[in-house]
Amino acid sequence: MGQLNLNKVQKFYGTFEVLKGIELEVREGEFVVFVGPSGCGKSTLLRMIAGLDETSSGDIMIDGKRVNDLPPVKRGIAMVFQSYALYPHMSVFENIAFPLRVEKMPEEKLKAKVENAARILHLDQRLQQKPGLLSGGQRQRVAIGRAIVREPKIFLFDEPLSNLDAALRADMRIELAKLHKQLKATMIYVTHDQVEAMTMADRIVVLNAGEISQTGAPLELYHKPANMFVAGFIGNPRMNMLPVVCKAVGDAGVAVEYKGQAVTIPVAGRSDLVGQPLTLGIRPEHIQIGSADLSMTVVPSVIERLGAQTVAYASLDGESENFCAMLPGSAAIRTDETVPIGIGAADCHLFDTAGLALERRVELTDVDMGLLKAGAV
Amino acid sequence: MRAPSLLINRYTWYELIGIYAGILVFLTFVLAPFVEGFLVSLKPLSQLFSSPYRFIPVNGSFEAYRTMWVSVPGFARYIFNSFFISTIVTAVVLILVVPAAYAFARFEFKGSSQLLGAFLAVNMFSGAVLLIPLFRLMRSFGLLNTYFAIIVPGVAFLIPSAIWLLRTYMMRIPKELDEAAFVDGASHFYTLRRVILPIAMPGITVVAITTFIGSYAQQFIFALTFNSKTEYAPLPVGLFAYFGRQEVIWNELMAASFVGIAPAMIVIFFLQRYLVSGLTAGAVKQ
Repeated sequence: MGQLNLNKVQKFYGTFEVLKGIELEVREGEFVVFVGPSGCGKSTLLRMIAGLDETSSGDIMIDGKRVNDLPPVKRGIAMVFQSYALYPHMSVFENIAFPLRVEKMPEEKLKAKVENAARILHLDQRLQQKPGLLSGGQRQRVAIGRAIVREPKIFLFDEPLSNLDAALRADMRIELAKLHKQLKATMIYVTHDQVEAMTMADRIVVLNAGEISQTGAPLELYHKPANMFVAGFIGNPRMNMLPVVCKAVGDAGVAVEYKGQAVTIPVAGRSDLVGQPLTLGIRPEHIQIGSADLSMTVVPSVIERLGAQTVAYASLDGESENFCAMLPGSAAIRTDETVPIGIGAADCHLFDTAGLALERRVELTDVDMGLLKAGAV
Repeated sequence: MRAPSLLINRYTWYELIGIYAGILVFLTFVLAPFVEGFLVSLKPLSQLFSSPYRFIPVNGSFEAYRTMWVSVPGFARYIFNSFFISTIVTAVVLILVVPAAYAFARFEFKGSSQLLGAFLAVNMFSGAVLLIPLFRLMRSFGLLNTYFAIIVPGVAFLIPSAIWLLRTYMMRIPKELDEAAFVDGASHFYTLRRVILPIAMPGITVVAITTFIGSYAQQFIFALTFNSKTEYAPLPVGLFAYFGRQEVIWNELMAASFVGIAPAMIVIFFLQRYLVSGLTAGAVKQ
């Protein structure tokens, strides 16, 4: 139990279309993450699934039943809020017990359930305290506890970790992943943090301006972004985009020219592309010092040494955006000194004028096939 | 342990003198009548008209606090009336205002801002302006000379400010708490009772105190016009009993005033315990 279907779900605020016909299927037990820049409608979509915001048109189906007009509790969902939303005058026990008290559950059963939830979340020692005495991570765990006692079909998380500091966030990420394994429940998680999305999700839904940009397993999004938006959004630092011109399309891939250099990128091409301007995408971590299929020289203006890696930023002539390269920690480069860099053709992404990706022929060893299958809808 | 003083709270010696001098002038202005009233209550009546006038009583005593019960035998009843009327008014106001303030703070409905504006407009009329129409109304309903005639207008005039006060307080309670309760299956009334009411307790206490004081103060005008029976007269009207045909028994009048205020002071002191801040600590990330 816990299957969710969204069928042409739309949301208008006045005449402004916030969500433009979302189609999505979430399978039982899946951990799906909605990710996107702020204002893309991901939180609104979650609140609509929760039953806090009304749906303008379309159907929200849970286990095959249309739930558009049902209150949250009848939908079988539980939600964890970004701001925790704990009841400050109640003890941790009462906070977790609140949904059960609403149901008028007998005291004995209630106590057992709350204690079980507290044990899962390591809150056993805190049950009699008020939320004001707890740390941020503990408060968030109480909020999660309140969600799990009800044993809902679907858990909804609205940026639950964004109020925590970085170290705690990493811990809670692991805890949540464990919790998902333990409860085997369907979870839908909203975040703007792509690390959270990449690490926890079975499947990521990238939203952009009220539309689903791409749906897929984390590594599928990384290796095969469907368009320039996803390519730029997933991966940190952002993918570099270079303007190229298509010269030929063949079995080996698409031959393009960048500033007089020709290189053949192994992607599926179409013959009508010849002569058209394309965009070549290359991730900073795929750039190496020296020469490769595509070679060029850059003059780094800023170098960030992170220890394990060195991130170098340079501006290419005629480009306003920074060109970024992620090099080994000990890379022998200096600011304002010319560096030769190389790009492997197999690492490149190609996008047509509409911003859509030409499908890459990715080495299968790079992608976990199990994950790919989970993502193939 | 003393909290370390912040730089913004640090003053030079002449600023400190200025601040305390200001406080002294203000307090003198506010408290002098009370002090003088108390001193009068301690003096024998003959000393009040002596010349030259002395502020400090010579062989003062609490004799007036005893004789006041004798010269006006119904005085205890007046105190009870005042206390009774104010308590009922406060209770009725709270019962009506708490759900109303919650609705104004949380729900969007047509005309909510107009309604709030109308409440404010009602507040601009003092009760005195409406005395004559109210009197006619009370007479035609046959309600003159009852507790009801004093209580109902009292409630009506105290509701608007109470709604405004409590609405502002409730708007500061994070909306996510309502949403979380809604997701957990709680109805609006359950949420109000189990979540909002306990958190809004300090706000409700403020409203209760202001309403109680307001009712204590304003019942005079309604009691004077809508009631002519001594058994329903509240304290301010009852004090007139010390105005004799020949002379005013000033020392007993003052003593009676202080005794009359005492119950209200006790109530306020009791309610003050609920005025704790920081009740929402830990509710949401701030």
